[in-house]
Amino acid sequence: MRNKFELTILITVLMVLGIGITLYKINVLGFSFSPDKTETVWTVESRINFIADGGPIKLSMNLPDNSNGLIVTESLRQATGYKLSREVSEDGAKRIVWSREDAPKGRQHIYYRANIFRRKSAQKSMKNKAPASLPKISQPFTGTYLEAAEELIKKAQNTEQGKIKNGINLLNELNSPEQNQSAALLLEMPREAGGRLGLASDLLTQAKIHNRIVKGLVLSRDNRNKKLSSYIEIFDGKKWQLINPKTAEVENPDAFLLWQQNNESLLEIEGGSKAKVRFSSLATKILANQAAIKGGQHKHSWLVDFSIYSLPLSSQNAFKILLLIPFGALIVVILRNLVGIQTSGTFMPILIALSFLQTTLVVGLILFLTVVCVGLVLRALLSHLNLLLVPRISAILVFVITIYLAISVIGFKMGSEVGLNVTFFPMIIISWSIERMCVLWEEEGGKDVLIQGSGSLFAASVIYILMKNNFIGNMTYAFPELLLVLLAIILMIGTYSGYRLSELRRFEPMGREEEKN
Amino acid sequence: MLLTTPGRLRQRGIVGMNMRNVVYIGQNNKRKFYPRVDDKLQTKVLAEKAGIAVPRLIGVARLQSHTKKLKEFLAQENAFVIKPAKGSGGKGILVITDRDGENYLKPSGSIVTDQGIRRHVSDILSGLFSLGGKPDVAMIEELVNFSSVFDGFSFEGVPDVRVIVYKGYPVMAMTRLSTKESDGKANLHQGAVGVGIDISKGHALNAVQHGKPLEVHPDTGRNLKELKVPDWPIFLELAAKAYEMTELGYLGADIVLDKEKGPLILELNARPGLAIQVANNHGLVTRVDKVEEDLKKFNRTPTERVAFSQQYFAV
Repeated sequence: MRNKFELTILITVLMVLGIGITLYKINVLGFSFSPDKTETVWTVESRINFIADGGPIKLSMNLPDNSNGLIVTESLRQATGYKLSREVSEDGAKRIVWSREDAPKGRQHIYYRANIFRRKSAQKSMKNKAPASLPKISQPFTGTYLEAAEELIKKAQNTEQGKIKNGINLLNELNSPEQNQSAALLLEMPREAGGRLGLASDLLTQAKIHNRIVKGLVLSRDNRNKKLSSYIEIFDGKKWQLINPKTAEVENPDAFLLWQQNNESLLEIEGGSKAKVRFSSLATKILANQAAIKGGQHKHSWLVDFSIYSLPLSSQNAFKILLLIPFGALIVVILRNLVGIQTSGTFMPILIALSFLQTTLVVGLILFLTVVCVGLVLRALLSHLNLLLVPRISAILVFVITIYLAISVIGFKMGSEVGLNVTFFPMIIISWSIERMCVLWEEEGGKDVLIQGSGSLFAASVIYILMKNNFIGNMTYAFPELLLVLLAIILMIGTYSGYRLSELRRFEPMGREEEKN
Repeated sequence: MLLTTPGRLRQRGIVGMNMRNVVYIGQNNKRKFYPRVDDKLQTKVLAEKAGIAVPRLIGVARLQSHTKKLKEFLAQENAFVIKPAKGSGGKGILVITDRDGENYLKPSGSIVTDQGIRRHVSDILSGLFSLGGKPDVAMIEELVNFSSVFDGFSFEGVPDVRVIVYKGYPVMAMTRLSTKESDGKANLHQGAVGVGIDISKGHALNAVQHGKPLEVHPDTGRNLKELKVPDWPIFLELAAKAYEMTELGYLGADIVLDKEKGPLILELNARPGLAIQVANNHGLVTRVDKVEEDLKKFNRTPTERVAFSQQYFAV
């Protein structure tokens, strides 16, 4: 009873852990069960143009931040001859700095390229924190302008609506001066800086609405040699909402790459002039799981950092196959304990399936049958010599290599290269199979060899087909934690005491008797 | 009908492979006791200590050097069997029925020289017949002088009786008769005939071959219903006593009948098969449940357990 309890706990823990991590990876990190699912990523290229004075030069550019569900990874910084460094300002804005002692005089180009991934879950970063206080009004309203502003605010204000709605109303009023004299008056107000956007921001601040001006790129649009577009963000009490000042509509922040906020300077240059930056963006599709791995690595998620994805690519491929073995074990368990198929050796079918992976199924089956049959005959001849176990197996191994060599050479002469696909590993498997079959033949007879042999080959074929399956390959590779679930299932089958499918056939006469009674 | 339903099998109390492994063997047979039945030498020593009738042990050859003394050692013996203690599937068993001067005779009449005996023992010691090729010891035991009551029921070979003992209670029995197809071996899935034996009286119930019922022996033509095991209570008591000796809760006892010595335990099995249910046309579950019920109330001696089984498991 206590065993049962412990087992139940163990199974539950394994299940919860495995499924939990899987769900986390799907929902938060953006992994996908489907191997073909693609995700859009963007490559954003900024081309900086400037005229160097000759002599030392220093150029710095504000960098986009990870925000609004987008992750930025740098891919290319192309600027020959320039030294590269990074700065982080007090308020957390990152800048990239190029510098050079002796820049040639004249026009220069610098490229900066970044890859942008979409993040699955909206990040709860500090950017969503409530702002401490209202921003300062850049140019206070005075006299008639103040009256006009107050009137406009009064008109747009509606206590029942949220701040967003009020802000939008205000922007709408400002955008239609032909219907509104106050708006027209305000727009005529001479401004030192900031223009119409600054006016809108000041007006919102006057109305006690938290707002800020941000600049960035809308990635969903076609961008080619574009400047950054300006937007207004309004804090609605929970998070910043992106608003297009021209249309006064809330924009989807998913595809908005925030590049500049809080009036940070975009570009600064010392020792040169006429610095300009233009942006282009290109959307491409990559596999969702690849995107998730890259995004996870960038975020330093330990689930990705401490996983097979951190291994070199060549070992990852080996692990891809290794991860399929537990799956094969599950199939063996199901076939043996639930279906009741007899196999020779518990894991022989998995090993045979692995050797099929190197030869493909049909060729593998033919090779296997040929080699095993010839091997069995030779083994029968050997058995008359009454050899001990180890020399016997060793002798068979030598036979197998010889047979196999013969098949390969004859096959190759006849124009087929299928025989060349088998390597050392399947050799050992095949010789072991032959040995097992021989022992079986002596102990139980030829009929059992046939039953267990075909059972093994059947199981091996099923495992092979599943191992080859793209979906399962993706599943085991993208979600190694499903091994825990697999383990739980195997443990569950381990306590299954019901009938096997084959027993419904075996005991069929006894079921029939009951019917008569 | 090709398949039956799990519900119908459950109704009949049939034990499946998984249930046998997980419940009957897993919960009743402790792994550490397995060697008591897997090593035939240990079985024999234990049985002799417990006063259970087994074929007499003449000697054991443990070292290669023992093979040189074999001739001297066997000088007084005319009929004996040499077998590996941990052999499987009846491999490596050499039966000697008589002597011809210096040489020995097999049942077929062919001659085995002293040299041949020595080589055979040497093979056993080096593990030729044991599973996995592990070194083994060779047992020399007295040849069973088989009773003639089963003549005609078996093609070659001599029938043995398999009794399933659950926690000391004999719950089911059958005899296995070799056929031409099974090549003289009493192995059911090689084509031997299984005949269920009534626990109360010891007479034949159903006979099956390859899972299908039959009336007469396919080779000798004898009516299998006529089979009756003599000294039946002694068979049952031997089997029941094996429980105290092995402490295995789910046990198969293979018993043979000697002309003079009566029933002798030949071998014990910690993983007896399930074909016995088909031969008896009865499931094990109902009987096992009955035993469990009785165990809650009483702590019986082997003889009482046999009486209980004979009373309740009659067909």
